[in-house]
This record gives sequence, structure tokens and C-alpha cells, in this order.
Amino acid sequence: MKGPLASGAILLVGIFVFIKFLLPLVTAPLPASLIYLYMALAFSGIMLYGTMSASSLESLMGPVFRFLSGEGQSGTGKMARLAVLVLFPLLVGWQTYTSLAPSDLPPGENRTIHPAPPGEFVGLANPYQNNQANINMGKGLYAAYCSPCHGANYDGKGPAAKGFNPPPANFADPGTIAQLQESYLFWRIKKGGVGLPVEAMPWKSAMPRWEAELPDEFIWKIIMGEYDGAHQSPRTWEEDD
Amino acid sequence: MLNILRFLSTVALVGLSGILGSTEGFASDPPPADEVGASVSIRMYQVQGTLPADDPNSPQWASVPESEFNLAPQVHWPERIQEVTVNTVKVKGLHDGQNLAILLEYEDPTEDPKDAAAIEFMVGDKKAHFAHGQPMLQVEGGPVNIWFWKKENGKALDMSAKGFKTLSTQEKQDVSATGAWSGGSWKVVFTRALKTEDEEDVQIEPGDWRSVAFSFWDGALVSGVPKEKGSQKAVSSWWSIRAEPSADNSIYGWVIFGLALAAAFELVVVRKLRKGQSA
Repeated sequence: MKGPLASGAILLVGIFVFIKFLLPLVTAPLPASLIYLYMALAFSGIMLYGTMSASSLESLMGPVFRFLSGEGQSGTGKMARLAVLVLFPLLVGWQTYTSLAPSDLPPGENRTIHPAPPGEFVGLANPYQNNQANINMGKGLYAAYCSPCHGANYDGKGPAAKGFNPPPANFADPGTIAQLQESYLFWRIKKGGVGLPVEAMPWKSAMPRWEAELPDEFIWKIIMGEYDGAHQSPRTWEEDD
Repeated sequence: MLNILRFLSTVALVGLSGILGSTEGFASDPPPADEVGASVSIRMYQVQGTLPADDPNSPQWASVPESEFNLAPQVHWPERIQEVTVNTVKVKGLHDGQNLAILLEYEDPTEDPKDAAAIEFMVGDKKAHFAHGQPMLQVEGGPVNIWFWKKENGKALDMSAKGFKTLSTQEKQDVSATGAWSGGSWKVVFTRALKTEDEEDVQIEPGDWRSVAFSFWDGALVSGVPKEKGSQKAVSSWWSIRAEPSADNSIYGWVIFGLALAAAFELVVVRKLRKGQSA
């Protein structure tokens, strides 16, 4: 099999294999919706190229037309045509069914794990000196107020953790507090679950609004204790540069 | 004529690629992996005939699929508690098109007058915080409807809240509940009409998902005081619940319509192609 139609098909398959399987080897996998968009663009491009003149149109679509019309076919070709003609309506029927059938899944919710903080909590510096006495005090406060959920090992596995949805943050994971600045933690601890913006599902978080119970000094020292205990460092702009 | 044919077949190919794309999952991303690892929803199945609405031990419950949810001590606001008796709850639901029955089954080693259980629902379209619908700082929340059963009087209260210290018993009581303790576990069945006239109540429309949460109190006395009371209780966060809708057979009509339309399209294309080629 050769000609523009085969080239087009090979090109499409090649592009798909490249973006679906080869690209993830060097970078993050593309979302399925983006892959679909790229494939649609590639397909449109091939169709545009193939229909630029009457002769290119004939060489691109001629085999398809001849296949579909069934003129002069026999054996395998005839069977293949029959299969296509039967499968196409079935596919449409199946697609109709899957798009209309009621879903048994509860409504999906996409939660933003680290939403943007309000302006007044951006770039605040910890006013307490990072020394052993303050760290120890912070760890003591952490043990009293935070560890029941976030765990004595700062791993989000406290005795109360397993009933919560979403689960308490695991500070030892490099994807949590190591990615955040101290001012961000100050916001999260002070305002708690009810301080979250709508994209972060404020109605599900059990994180207390600690400003009602703890002075700012305790919160800043808890942050110090948390970083030290979890063996992480706050994100700073200097290190990024 | 040939141009129309080419146009039609191009449309067909693009359409086919779209159909293939969406059925192969190209068009939508998979849902995120479930972090919690237990059930995420409760489905209340429709029964023909009697609902076991006042009998937690009815054999009718045995064949109903159950959902299981982990519970946590209430630590969100004071007075907190660090350890609770009830750590998981199994939930089953049924409805008959008019009324619903929800069965909660959970372990509690002792039967005490102060033992209690509650089911909470979001009311209306606004999301509400699971802690009694307390106000949120950046989002305007809605109210919650709480069905509260206590062993002491064997009754359920139909309650409302929108924030701490706003919990109140509704004027119009629509809920009833029956509890039975046996061998270290409680079975409590709550019942209510799917829909009520009361705008403070959650309205259950078969087929629509609602948000639901649970609370439990172990009323065993420790030094003369109940071990768990008030805000000291076992809680869950929000999960999803729905009354299953009646089977909708109109779908099959649309499927047949789709099949027929696709077959007719093929017929037209093939006929035109043949004419074009013989011409």
C-alpha cells in the first residue's frame, strides 16, 4: 500500500506515537484533551494538503471512495468493506448510548491543592529568629495542636487522619511545605479550611481556623518547628534565582 | 456532485475520528486517583413494595450493597476530642419513589442512653462547610439539614444550622428514626419523604447527587459524664448520596435513531459514489 493516503495514515500514527509515548520519556505526559487537539490539527492539516488540487484530492481520497463504493471488489476487500459499513452505525449507536446513559459516578471535583493566598499573606517574613529555642517551642506547640492529624512524624498520618477527606497534608513530602513560603503556611494555619478560596473546596477541609485560638507568635514558631521536624526548608525567591 | 461527495466523506471522516477519539478516552482526562481508599458515595436503591423504614433488622436490608466511610475525631473547633469510639460506619439506602430509608451500622461496645447518631445534608445549591455549615471567608456558604437520633428518647430531630451556635430544631418535623443495639453494634435507620414542603430540608430528587456527612456520639459514662457529647464526636467530611432513578428506556430509542441515521448516511454516500464512478 502506497500513495498519499498511506503516507497520511502513517504520518498520523507517527505523530500519535510521538506525543503519546515518546514525549513522556523526556517531559511530563500531555493531557488527553491536548493530545486529541493535536491529532485533530494534524488530521485537518493532512486533509487540507491532500485537497489542494483535483489530482491530489483524487490520489488522497480516490482509494477511500473506491473502497466505499465497492465497485469491482472481491474476497478480503469485500469483507473489509462490509465490516466498515456494519461497524460505523454500531459505533454511532454505542456512542449515543454512552453519552446518554446515566453515570453512576458522583460528580467529579477538581481540587486545587495550593490555591493562591490573599494579598495580605504574600511575602510576610517570619518575625521570630530561627534558633533552637524557638524551634523547640514550635515543635512542642505542633505536638499539642497539629500532630493529632498531621502526625508526630510530620507525615500526615496522625491518629485522627484517616477519617478526613481531603487527608491532612504530609509535610515530609517534598510537594507540600518545601514548595511553599513561610507566609503561605502562616495564612493556611491562621485561617484554616474556611479561609480557602472556592477552587480548594473550603467546605471539606477540617483544618481549624487557628487565629481564633492561637496568637501569631505561636503560629510562626509552629512553622519553624514544622520545617525543622519534616527536614524541609521554606521556598525562598533567592534560592530560585 | 463530486464536490458534495467529497465534502460529505470528509465530514464523515472527521466525525468518525471524533467518535473514536471520545470513545477511546482522548477527549477527557481520567479522574484523579482516589486518595482516601474507601467508598465515595451511597446509592439508595429503589424497591417495589414496602420500605424497611422502621426496622433496622429487616431481612430486606441484607441484600442491599453497603458503602463504608472512615470517621475522625472532631478536631475542627473546640471543644475537640482526640479519640473516638466509632471509627467507621457502613451505610445502606433504599427508597420507594416516595420515601427513603437510610441504615447506619457502626460498632459501639456498649448500649447507653446518651448514644446518638446524625446525618447531615447540604440544602440547596450553595456548598456548605461540613462543620454545621459554618461561614467561610471567601465563599458564601449555604445551610445544612441535620437528622439527629438519640437512644435516650428513641426519636429523631429534624434540625437546621448555618454556622456554629445556630443549630436549631425545625418547626416542622419530617424525620423519624429507629435504633437497635445488638452484640456491640448499633443499627439505626432514618426515614423521611424524598421531598418535603419545608425549605429548610434537603430535597432528594431521584437521579440527583446530594452531599452527606455523618456524626456519632458514644454516650458511655466516664466518671458520671458521657464520654462524647456536643462537639466531641466522631465525624465524616462530605460524601455523595443519591436516590437511584427509575430505568429510562428512552435511551434505547435514541440509540436506534442514531444507528438508523448512520446507516442512512452510509447508504446515501455509497449510492452517490457508485453513480459518480459509473458516470
